[in-house]
Amino acid sequence: MKQSKLRIILAGVTAVIVLAVSCSKSFLDKAPIGSLDQNTLANKAGVEGLLIGAYSLLDGYGGAGGGWQSAGSNWVYGGVASDDAYKGSDPGDQADIVPIETYAPTASNGYFNQKWQALYDGIQRCNDVIRIMANASDISAADKLTIEAQARFLRAHYHMDAKKMWNNVPFVDEKITYAAGNFNVSNTTDIWPNIVADLDFAITNLPATQSQVGRVNSWAAKSLKAKALMFQRNYTAALPILKDVIANGVTSGGKKYDLQANFFDNFNAETKNSAECVYSVQQSVNDNSQGGNGGWGDVLNFPYNGGPGGCCGFYQPSVSLANSYKVDASGLPLLDTWNNSDLKNDQGINSTAAYTPDVTTPVDPRIDYTMGRRGIPYLDWGLHPGNDWIRDQNNGGPYSPIKNVYFKRQAGALTDNSFWTSGVTANNYTFIRFADVLLWAAECEVEVGSLSNAVALVNRVRSRMKDNPSKWVKNSTGGNAANYQIGLYASFADQATGRKAVRFERKIELAMEGHRFFDLVRYGTADVELNAYIAREKSKRTYLTNAVFTKDKNEYFPIPQSQIDLSKGALKQNKGF
Amino acid sequence: MLSLVFLLCSIGVFAQKAVIGKVTNKSNGQPLAGATVAVKGTTTVTATGNDGTFTINAPANATLIVTSIGFETIEQAVGGKSDFVFSLNEATNQLNEVLVTGYSAQRKKDITGSVSVVNVKDLKAVPAGSPEQMLQGRASGLNVITSGQPGSGSNIRIRGITNFGNVDPLVIVDGVQGSLSNLNAAEIESIQVLKDAGAASIYGVRGSNGVIVVTTKKGRSGRAVVNYEAYIGKQYPASGNPFNLLDTKGMADLTWLALKNSGQATTHPQYGSGATPVIPDYILNGGAAGIVGSISAADLAKYNVSDFSKPIYQIVAANKLGTNWFQEIFAPAGIQSHTVTASGGNDKNTYLLSMNYFNQQGTLLGTYLKRYSIRANTTYNISKNIRVGENLYLFNRDNPQIGNQSEGNAISMAYREQPIIPVYDVYGGFAGTAAKGLGNAQNPVANQMRTLGNKGNSWDIQGNVFAEVDFLKHFTARTAFGGTLSNFYYYNYGYRTYENAENNGSNSFSENAGYNRQWTWTNTIRYSNVFKEKHAVTALAGIEAVEVYGRGVGGGALGYFTDNPSFRVLSTGSSGFTNYSYAYQNALYSQFAKVDYAYDDKYLFSATIRRDGSSRFGSEKRYGIFPSFALGWRISREKFMSNIKWIDDMKIRGSWGKLGNQANVDPSNAFSQFGGSPGGSYYDINGTSTSAVQGFNATRIGNPKTGWEENILTNFGVDALLFKNKLDVSIEYYKKKINGLLFADQAPATVGGAALPAVNIGDIQNTGWDASVTYRGVANKDLKYDVGVIFTTYKSQIVNIPGNYFTAGGSRIGDFVRNQVGNPIGAFFGYEVVGIFQDASDVSKSATQDGAKPGRFKYRDANGDKVITDADRVFFGNPNPKFTLGLNLGATYKNFDFSTFLYGSFGNDVINYVRYWTDFYPSFQGAKSLDALNKSWLPTRTATNVPIAENDASFSTNQVPNSYYREDGSYLRCKSMILGYTMPTATLKKYGIEKLRVYVQAANLFTITKYTGLDPELSGSNAAFGIDYGNYPNNQRNINIGVNVTF
Repeated sequence: MKQSKLRIILAGVTAVIVLAVSCSKSFLDKAPIGSLDQNTLANKAGVEGLLIGAYSLLDGYGGAGGGWQSAGSNWVYGGVASDDAYKGSDPGDQADIVPIETYAPTASNGYFNQKWQALYDGIQRCNDVIRIMANASDISAADKLTIEAQARFLRAHYHMDAKKMWNNVPFVDEKITYAAGNFNVSNTTDIWPNIVADLDFAITNLPATQSQVGRVNSWAAKSLKAKALMFQRNYTAALPILKDVIANGVTSGGKKYDLQANFFDNFNAETKNSAECVYSVQQSVNDNSQGGNGGWGDVLNFPYNGGPGGCCGFYQPSVSLANSYKVDASGLPLLDTWNNSDLKNDQGINSTAAYTPDVTTPVDPRIDYTMGRRGIPYLDWGLHPGNDWIRDQNNGGPYSPIKNVYFKRQAGALTDNSFWTSGVTANNYTFIRFADVLLWAAECEVEVGSLSNAVALVNRVRSRMKDNPSKWVKNSTGGNAANYQIGLYASFADQATGRKAVRFERKIELAMEGHRFFDLVRYGTADVELNAYIAREKSKRTYLTNAVFTKDKNEYFPIPQSQIDLSKGALKQNKGF
Repeated sequence: MLSLVFLLCSIGVFAQKAVIGKVTNKSNGQPLAGATVAVKGTTTVTATGNDGTFTINAPANATLIVTSIGFETIEQAVGGKSDFVFSLNEATNQLNEVLVTGYSAQRKKDITGSVSVVNVKDLKAVPAGSPEQMLQGRASGLNVITSGQPGSGSNIRIRGITNFGNVDPLVIVDGVQGSLSNLNAAEIESIQVLKDAGAASIYGVRGSNGVIVVTTKKGRSGRAVVNYEAYIGKQYPASGNPFNLLDTKGMADLTWLALKNSGQATTHPQYGSGATPVIPDYILNGGAAGIVGSISAADLAKYNVSDFSKPIYQIVAANKLGTNWFQEIFAPAGIQSHTVTASGGNDKNTYLLSMNYFNQQGTLLGTYLKRYSIRANTTYNISKNIRVGENLYLFNRDNPQIGNQSEGNAISMAYREQPIIPVYDVYGGFAGTAAKGLGNAQNPVANQMRTLGNKGNSWDIQGNVFAEVDFLKHFTARTAFGGTLSNFYYYNYGYRTYENAENNGSNSFSENAGYNRQWTWTNTIRYSNVFKEKHAVTALAGIEAVEVYGRGVGGGALGYFTDNPSFRVLSTGSSGFTNYSYAYQNALYSQFAKVDYAYDDKYLFSATIRRDGSSRFGSEKRYGIFPSFALGWRISREKFMSNIKWIDDMKIRGSWGKLGNQANVDPSNAFSQFGGSPGGSYYDINGTSTSAVQGFNATRIGNPKTGWEENILTNFGVDALLFKNKLDVSIEYYKKKINGLLFADQAPATVGGAALPAVNIGDIQNTGWDASVTYRGVANKDLKYDVGVIFTTYKSQIVNIPGNYFTAGGSRIGDFVRNQVGNPIGAFFGYEVVGIFQDASDVSKSATQDGAKPGRFKYRDANGDKVITDADRVFFGNPNPKFTLGLNLGATYKNFDFSTFLYGSFGNDVINYVRYWTDFYPSFQGAKSLDALNKSWLPTRTATNVPIAENDASFSTNQVPNSYYREDGSYLRCKSMILGYTMPTATLKKYGIEKLRVYVQAANLFTITKYTGLDPELSGSNAAFGIDYGNYPNNQRNINIGVNVTF
């Protein structure tokens, strides 16, 4: 017993000593498990991976920020804020959009902060590529240039999106880091020169074609630079670049830029990355991302109650937009009188009640590839049933969006099934498509070039529809679903007419693609156009009753209040907010 | 030093003789093991054995002092006798009670720190699955908020909130870091709550949120005792229409009212198009809505809700009266608990073996907690001075839960799903919002029924082994190794749905498992001695190592061929396969020491120091030192107090010290990390539409300079025992100040999307009073009674945080909470509603406000600039109670005992966010409240606070957080009322029963509150709480019968 007692004491004492000694520093060194550090990534594969990560925020989803709030398609800020569309759905869902639509947004509106966060997350991902590549030793100088050129292209893209939204925004390059403490960047200096500098670097160092179709090339960089110049109203500088792109541009896959015979091929996942695509966000489904790489930003923008996607009835085309597709006897838009009367629609008519669609009023065939209308085939989903697919017709009107919608045959294959909605699709959102380039060129020709060149460019866009009547929406008997008419302009009487015609063409060609609000601001006519829109629409959409677009204020959105507060005064609020 | 000890030990070695004796409990004659017998004025001391006997050497003229935990002390002159029997009275005051505090035990009267002692017997009066919930109102300084969901965790806050992250107190079970939530209350011997630095600083970097020290029961020497403790009962949810919702006709009328008020056409897919709404006979027939009349046989034949390869065809009759969804998902539910304990021992060893079965069915369909547990505690006296032992606890728990406090759970769906929708369609399928015009809510019965096959299991092994050696008379060395091995396993099946407006496109299955391993090794040496009769010294020194490691794994799949539950494994899915795993680790290594000194039981001094090294911090900031000092003065021992007869004992005490906090720093905080995920950084660069290439992004920015947060605590207290030990009062004032609050840094988005590190910037200050008062009265021989009051107040003030403020408490309309410097934690922020615009002139003369219109809210122009903007938002509510109160009343009359316990929270505001959904017609097309129809503003009904019913969302109604949602959340609840009867011992003896008590109980008998929602007791995070998002109420009436029998 004595012996065993002694042994126990000795064992205990030994254990205590061993513990005390072994508890040296190493016991407290507990590095995180399952993550990478920047040394592991400072090589070609790691930097390429970071670049992929920078591309992956083009959809506005997956990093900081939200989903639909920060969508790459800008459906809220470019679409709902313009005369393209209403918020849609029922009045209370995504109520933060209502003040955006009625031009009474506050700086604390959560939508703006989420969009801002998503863009600057994308920007810093680009900067991570550049920063970490500086420590990599296995990348050739030529490869480094191509990688940096892609990163700077994307950085310019994200900055330009912010510039369009808020005008006064900070430029964040690779020198801005948390560790350096220099992140309170001011927004009082115009960042167009920085954006253009990044794009010039990209133009110089990007190849004309890429082995992977999702990578941007030098032609995309030129097109984006032209867009930057358009937003600065520098038509003189933009025109030669646009001419070069039109004459010589090819896609990353090597296809010569051209319009697709079938207009809707631009919005169909099966025909993505066509010759018309200058650059787009590549979306994928059923790829283990549980929908995260699909079109999350537009997931709300599908018909309701049994329609495709099933949710949530947002982004409903406006009555004014529908009216924009009315044409005269020669198939040309009614540039001045388009909104004097409404195209027939099923507002206030339940789906159980009879309704005959208007098949006599001549309309541009693009209307039924831009919005779903009752009684007209909705892709391969059969006839649009009207009110049944609308969440609250009183609030959102009679029409449904269509450009982001998938075909019935694609359900499950090109849509993701992981969710409460099947509206997560592999449809790419195209940031710049060739028709966009042609119409910018037309604008430049109107402003600083020749009107006849402008006519030719507009007619090239119109001819795609005119020359391909077989691609128009057909009814069950094979005839046209409505009285489609499209003609070409013979000439523009004067510059003012040309300007009006080109801008109208942009409106109807690119409607519901997230450009309209920014175009109106670019033209400088947002107050006139949007106040006219409100005056026309407020009897239909009662929440617009008191809406007013204030010139020199509502052209830009308020800088998110939380960002101003966090920047310790480095960020200044926009005028009027 | 050692020689001094030897010298002191040798004093009075001569003229001694052996005295023997036995110590018993006077009330039942049982021997008392472990009682201390000391020779007064010397260091000679011994403890009784398991049979209550002792031997001690004492001079003939000496006095023996006999003490034992929970008993009154006896002093007895030896007087030449050599054989004694001491029968000890159970203590009526707690002064001599020995409390387990940090790493050691102390008599209550010697304690200088702030320690709340929980009366474990009272604790068990509340029937609940976890001792956490039972602690509510039982210890001063402690606030506990729990939902009614079986097995739900609780928000436990000791002396308020001092951090926006984790403020959970450290829980020590039998000396090892553990958890309260799964303990069986019947096995708990004692619970002490250490609140100030004097008491808790020995826990160093983990002590700042306070420490709850739990000791479980041990066996006692003597014959084997078998005890059976059980109760069984039923819980009753609220009756009637607790959300105050409209019926079917009311909804139709409200729809017409809202459309008319908005100037919109009165058409609706269900109610037709006309001057008055028509309630249809059927709400759905295939794709058609609002059918008046009957359904043809041909249509009935098309019915299909199961074959998804064909079109779904559903036929749903209207519930013309209205479905009461709350009552469809809530129903009375059973609760039962059974504990069998066998314990005993001999002079060498003791054992306790206990088994518990607990089964609480939730009143909400498909929720329950079932737990099976076993405890085995044993001690072995290897020799007189060596003891070893172990505490072991195993449990298995089956507890599927709903996501509480969310708009998507069944409780929220019960106020969102419209009453015209029946539970089932005409052929027994689920009915829902697939019927047009009825919003996007889901059938809560369907949701809960579909969860019935889900499982949420966990099983844990908790415990420790220890060895103690007494040596050199005054020293005890102890080593203890223990910890927890927790495992969880859960799987959920998601059905493909058909009845909703927004349906799941596929069935799905996910399965998840993981474990957490945590061990603690503690080694201490304790020294205890009394010098020259008056100088009592206790010293403790120790080292401790803690390591935590855990891993988890899971996966999911879609497209199950059948919904048959036996088909549900991951590999039988057909698509959408996903998987994940994760791992984490952290460690702590510490040294500590404590000295307690008492002079003549009058002046008490205590000092503690602890040095902690934590792996959570970078090497530069790894170690922290946490000191504390405490002083006590038993003023009642002073001569000048001896004349004051009504004061039996009075102690004034104060403490100051630093405590640490590392809970709110991620173990990876020091490291800059990169990672990636399919949804977050992968990209389909090849344009394939169905595959993505791996990409990376920065996930965390590290900060090696972040260190622990220091909480500086000052505490003053008075403990008094008055009026012949009848009144026991303890009052304390405290102040808690944070130095280097751990706070996730805030920076503008220009730093990118990676998580920012926690940094040491900020200060939150808490001040408050705690008090506990107990009065024990004896009316006569038969009637005894006691009254106990526990009073807690705290005031949290944010003194400094990076970025000045941050928002929390998110909702459909933005954040309700702004945590801002100069304000209390969790304060509600938004527009203050000052009234309703009554007419156009009211609008025009008021400040310019977006959406201003008669019938809508008028907001306060806080900055007086005549226009309502962001700058007019104000703090309009405080969710922190002014005080909370626990009131315990007990009485015994002959063999009857009665007790009742009330708990109240006073002066706290709550946000009734449910009203966003139910009071505003345009907030989704869901069910609406009676107020929306009957009290909403009209030109003819202006005396109301409910805005106009309309079909437009507006800044001036339902788009922004405003004070409309604020309500007074004060309440007083009768948590428990018990009537018990103990059988007379004489009758029982015949049947070999030692003791038998039966009781009936009513829990949550009533709640007095002005709150109009289900229950003002609302859990939340520490950054946002007191917001009702659809909470599982914790106020269900519960009637139980119980028995406690000892053989």
